[in-house]
Amino acid sequence: MNISTSWLREWINPKVSDEVLAEQLTMAGLEVDGIETVAPAFDNVVVGHVVSCEKHPDADKLNLCQVDVGEADNLQIICGASNVRADLKVIVATVGAKLPGGLKIKKAKLRGVESFGMICSESELGMADSSDGISELESDAPIGQNIREYLDLDDNIIELDITPNRGDCFSVLGVAREVSANYNMAFKMPEINVNSQGTSSIKTSVSNTQACPKYLTRAISGINNTVKTPKWMADKLTRSGQQVHSPVVDITNYVLLELGQPMHAFDLEKINGAIEVRNAKAGEKIKLLNESSVELNDDTLIIADDNSPLAIAGVMGGMGSSTQDDSTQILLESAFFEPVSIAGKARNYGLHTESSLRFERGVDFNITEVAMDRATQLIIDICGGEASDISNCVDESALPALNPITITQAKIQKILGFELDSNWIEEKFTNLDFEISNKSADSWTIIPPSFRFDIRIPADLIEELARLYGYDKLPVQKLSLDANINTISEATIDKYDIAQSLVSRGYQEVITYSFVSEKYQHLIDPEAKKITLSNPISADMSTMRSSLWAGLLQTVESNQRRGHTDARFFEIGLCFGGVKADEQSNKLAGVVSGNRFDAQWSTELQPLDFFDAKADLESLLTLTGNQFSFEAAEHPALQKGQSAKILLDSVQVGYIGALSPVVQKQLSLSKCYLFEIDLDAILSGKVAKYEAFSSYQQSARDIALVLDEATPVADLMSSIENMNQPHFVGVSLFDIYAGENIESGKKSVALNLTYQSLESTLSDDEVNAKVGEVLALMQDKFSATQR
Amino acid sequence: MINAILDQAKASIAAAGSLKELDDLRVKFLGKKGELTALLKGLGKLSKEERPKMGEAINQAKVSVQNLLTDRKNHLETLELEKRLLEEKIDVSLPGRNVEMGGLHPVTITLNRIQSLFAKNGFEVETGPEIEDDFHNFTALNIPDHHPARAMHDTFYFDESTVLRTHTSPVQIRTMENKKPPLRIIAPGRVYRCDSDITHTPMFHQVEGLIVDKEANFAQLKGLLIDFLRAYFEKEDLQVRFRPSYFPFTEPSAEADIECVICGGKGCRVCKKTGWLEVLGCGVVHPNVLDSAQVDSEEYTGLAFGMGVERLAMLRYGVNDLRLFFENDIRFLRQFK
Repeated sequence: MNISTSWLREWINPKVSDEVLAEQLTMAGLEVDGIETVAPAFDNVVVGHVVSCEKHPDADKLNLCQVDVGEADNLQIICGASNVRADLKVIVATVGAKLPGGLKIKKAKLRGVESFGMICSESELGMADSSDGISELESDAPIGQNIREYLDLDDNIIELDITPNRGDCFSVLGVAREVSANYNMAFKMPEINVNSQGTSSIKTSVSNTQACPKYLTRAISGINNTVKTPKWMADKLTRSGQQVHSPVVDITNYVLLELGQPMHAFDLEKINGAIEVRNAKAGEKIKLLNESSVELNDDTLIIADDNSPLAIAGVMGGMGSSTQDDSTQILLESAFFEPVSIAGKARNYGLHTESSLRFERGVDFNITEVAMDRATQLIIDICGGEASDISNCVDESALPALNPITITQAKIQKILGFELDSNWIEEKFTNLDFEISNKSADSWTIIPPSFRFDIRIPADLIEELARLYGYDKLPVQKLSLDANINTISEATIDKYDIAQSLVSRGYQEVITYSFVSEKYQHLIDPEAKKITLSNPISADMSTMRSSLWAGLLQTVESNQRRGHTDARFFEIGLCFGGVKADEQSNKLAGVVSGNRFDAQWSTELQPLDFFDAKADLESLLTLTGNQFSFEAAEHPALQKGQSAKILLDSVQVGYIGALSPVVQKQLSLSKCYLFEIDLDAILSGKVAKYEAFSSYQQSARDIALVLDEATPVADLMSSIENMNQPHFVGVSLFDIYAGENIESGKKSVALNLTYQSLESTLSDDEVNAKVGEVLALMQDKFSATQR
Repeated sequence: MINAILDQAKASIAAAGSLKELDDLRVKFLGKKGELTALLKGLGKLSKEERPKMGEAINQAKVSVQNLLTDRKNHLETLELEKRLLEEKIDVSLPGRNVEMGGLHPVTITLNRIQSLFAKNGFEVETGPEIEDDFHNFTALNIPDHHPARAMHDTFYFDESTVLRTHTSPVQIRTMENKKPPLRIIAPGRVYRCDSDITHTPMFHQVEGLIVDKEANFAQLKGLLIDFLRAYFEKEDLQVRFRPSYFPFTEPSAEADIECVICGGKGCRVCKKTGWLEVLGCGVVHPNVLDSAQVDSEEYTGLAFGMGVERLAMLRYGVNDLRLFFENDIRFLRQFK
């Protein structure tokens, strides 16, 4: 909300600068987003009266004006504006004036004629970005008055960012009350006097008193709505960000800004029969003041006459019953709508109004009558007319309950860490208009005021006291350390260590959006459950990812577009198999593309391949100490024949492979290799367990086997391991060969077997026997012959 | 005679240019058929009186020649080594043969720093789902249906009651549902708001903190956060101020500002000339929130805080455009190695 400080200071005027006042409001919880001056600094600018205006003798476009600025002699001023004319009240910068932008007004000669000043436009005074000609003042502007004074330019606009709990601060009254509580001084309400008589011809009733506990109307007849809204009011409205319309509308807006009570004026002659405040019937329609037509839901409270809806209660009036310039009889409405019944209604119709903003947060239900009288008084003052008495529909029982709240010194101590002075507490409660209904030495019971919808529990009172005391002055303490030793298993692997090990292998971590385009998601994982946002930012960000590959490939693509062709990226993040908590799990994925090393002096450029990606992944897997295996498997995003699933205890936990050429082409990428694994599979490791090692010599034997080309080498090796031979240490692969001297369709696999005993050095015969067992198994299981 | 041989040996050893030559000289003077050996053999022809004298002189000469040979050999070996070293000389300025190190994302770096600072105060890390239900994201946090705060959240919806979490605060609820107080946790993670412009990305990161204890109070919350901010920005006298604010799930609520780390509090574009930067929100957990997680709000007090990770990273590293964090441009990411 924007509030003019000169308006505020009419109510309460602490002897501090606007800047200090703004700072105080911020520190009290009404955050000031900014202060803007109404006009920048300038001086020696006054109201002038153009006494005469003639053409300059030597210049067609210039005028020679005699201007009265309230001094003994008129000033001769040359003016080029096309709208300058005799008898106009204008803004005159006299000789010696300094204008915004550094312009100094001096005596000048234009085409041989002397000029003693300048007639100004608003833009020349920094009050507008551009102006069409010089500024034309009201005809009653006092000649010679300083323009800053006349236009009240020594005013600042404070932009307040009011939090949803402080609906009471959306008015000058509310802010004045805050200033009052902070500076411990009283504020001044405007005097309100209304003469009224008779009753309104419009009968009113409320059928949903829960939603509308209080509904006040008053008829005012014989008004003239064609007069101009007074300048003082128009200025206040525009400086608060409101547009100026016609007097009646302006006055209701003014009262809204001044007292925080949204009001509405109906053209009385357009009301058919009686007014009823009721819920809409589903399907009822209304054309609103903003010219939109809406179909109403039955949860919406409306104001209706015998024929049709006249307004959405607390949100916006209807076009049909609105006041116009020629309206002479009006029905003023001042009501209290209960916040929950108004909340969300404006948004449901795509509306957001000054009225709904306030009713949703809570409007003082004791200001209703005051506001009605204030608006009546202003209307009669400005537009004339006669007011009827107020007719009211009030259901006291439906008004918000103001239950007493008790706060104790012990509770203050518990929450804030110190005790507040009892006298100070009482003074602040009083400043805040909190009625102290009961008290003892260290306990107070208060009744919250009708304008504070946020004061319901003891914690609310503590916040009030704390903010008036000043959060900055509250004590600071150390957290008492309840020294529990963290119980994290040694077998748990830190996500950070996993990330670091990939970083050491040249990977750059990326963070990509968790939502991707539906097309991308479908390309990568067509079988995944589609989880789409109902209100995405764009189609490119509409579908929750089931795999990190989409984001990684996009990253490769965008960096390749910028000329960075070598890529090693990884990401750790949640992927989504559904919307339930247990369907969302963390994955780790990597992508590599381009060359194994950067071009460097010592190494030839070599393109990365499957085994580079696999080595990187395996380096992670060894962190865990668990046994993972790789098994050839197909994946829609991966190249057939170069893809595998990753298994842990025969459960599939991930995939690795070359990006499918089809996908690669669709995404205009170079060759990529990808892996992805469930993070949980690599977060649990093992705690080391010492085993005695042998001091006897190790025996090694090489064997070369010829077998079918399609047999996975990993199968040979795991079969040997699973033999669990006594004294077996390990088997390693040291060569694979196919080609000359090997039958086509076959390959030669060279393995190194090692054996060692804890008790003695094994004899050749013992070792040979063990190797014999291995060869027999190889023959038996894989038809492998020794080469 | 002996002196003549010795002089000759001295001269020829000094002139020897290689180990081979030196060895030849050893044979020539000291070998079985060497000149000094020959003299020894001739001792027999001398008188009994002369023999010991002469014998000693010859042996001394042999020792001298042996010393000369050793010295020269050492010298020649040193020369030879130096020659080889010269041949093996490399340009040590050449870069090592290596894969370039990768790097962590600046958000991860920042998260890790935040986590380690809080870990020292006994905070454990908790996480939660990113697709949240309405109850955990709003209702349990004292944000009932139609509460004006809901409109402020720019929520992404899947259906009426399923959202992308708009803050990490739901982890507070999930933790209290599963663990008994006292609690001291932080919850880092991704959050989502339906907003995208120069200063907003639809996804960003927060760290939520929660303390539930019988003795917890607002003064401790202030102390903890001042300590954290000073440690994070590595400035012992960093000015921190607390302002009243509003969050439905805390009462009292506060926002914390730090002196602008860009201009030192003098006022600049980043701090909008105020000299202050808002960095986090915090407060005493609202009793309704404790109640909805079945924690006795009379017995226990909760303290909560939440901070934007990108904001802290931007201020720490001088990044001036939020969107850079999710463009994953290698030229940006490489700067955080």
